[in-house]
Amino acid sequence: MEDLLQASVSSAARATETGYSEDVSRQIVDICGDSGISLVASLPDDWIGQTIARFEQDNRFTHIPVNREESALALCSGAFLSGTGAMALMGASGLMTLVYAITKINYTYEIPIFILVTQRGSLDDGAKFHVSNGLYFDDVVKSIDLPCTVIESREELPKIAEAYHHAKKISRPTIAVLPKKLLLGKV
Amino acid sequence: MNYHECLAWIASKWTDELVVTSAGTSSEIWFEETGDTERVFYLEASMSLSSCFAAGIAFGVPGKNVWAFSGDGAFVMNAGMLTVERQMNLPNLTHFMVSNRVYGSTSNVPLPGRSDNDYAAIARGFGIDRVYSFGGMNELQAKFEEAVLEPGYTFVHLEVDPLDQRGKSPPMDGPEVKFRFGRHIEKVTGKSVFSDPLP
Repeated sequence: MEDLLQASVSSAARATETGYSEDVSRQIVDICGDSGISLVASLPDDWIGQTIARFEQDNRFTHIPVNREESALALCSGAFLSGTGAMALMGASGLMTLVYAITKINYTYEIPIFILVTQRGSLDDGAKFHVSNGLYFDDVVKSIDLPCTVIESREELPKIAEAYHHAKKISRPTIAVLPKKLLLGKV
Repeated sequence: MNYHECLAWIASKWTDELVVTSAGTSSEIWFEETGDTERVFYLEASMSLSSCFAAGIAFGVPGKNVWAFSGDGAFVMNAGMLTVERQMNLPNLTHFMVSNRVYGSTSNVPLPGRSDNDYAAIARGFGIDRVYSFGGMNELQAKFEEAVLEPGYTFVHLEVDPLDQRGKSPPMDGPEVKFRFGRHIEKVTGKSVFSDPLP
């Protein structure tokens, strides 16, 4: 069986065939590295296959593929308490599963974490099974007062670092949202 | 095993490990036995996440051993946590899974699969090498050093009887638990948890 690193190379190749931008993924990974993030816990989404693979391949990071989104949240929360910069990376559906864990763990104990999430369910998402995210994602995020930054273009990618640091300032989770057009390198 | 006696004995063996307890009974007994408010993160809102939370800590402070407590209610909810722990294979993490076959924090409501769940077999099935299962105090005491004090990621299944009554929660709000524990990490590791300058 391929090890994680070999498997990530294959995965990145497949993601590139689907049109997702290597350059944008590289920029995201560099910004995360420069901001002090060294642990990345991820759940997959087609849109970020390229990005996940880059984290796996980059020696600045320890990348942990996890079994479910709550595990990513728990890992990153524990990592914070050890003085380790951490980030969870997932699809919008994953974020939708985290309401309990965010409110019970991160809000109760005031533990900051940063989550990078795709904007599944947007108008340009062809997947019918993500329609629910388009309908409810924004309202769910607002309902738990979760600070949210949509990265609208490459020029705005540095906002990822700002959102990461902002979580520490406010001792709460923050999220940054990656639209499809951005990940395709079109904006 | 008697739940209280089991945890009290483990607490008596506790030296400088960092400890993460989970919802309900393990937090209550550990606090009752130790009264500690510095080296324990009482994760009372854990919902199956205490061991992954502990793994995050163990990853960041490799020089410190970390003990995580969870229950079989958590295990049934999120057995897949062991795939993450196995993959990380942190030599400084010990996961104690206390099984009483009921949801002890909620009136001992019976657990699904309570008569058949073989937790040690499941852990081995996920590829974990160091798996120990203890159903009595004599076995626990005889093998504790090998199971817990030797390095290597370890899953320890403790089979106990349900308790008839609840204890008291540690008398701290969440942020106090966070700051006390985090300041202790800062003190013993020299790492900065809260004090990094922010841009």
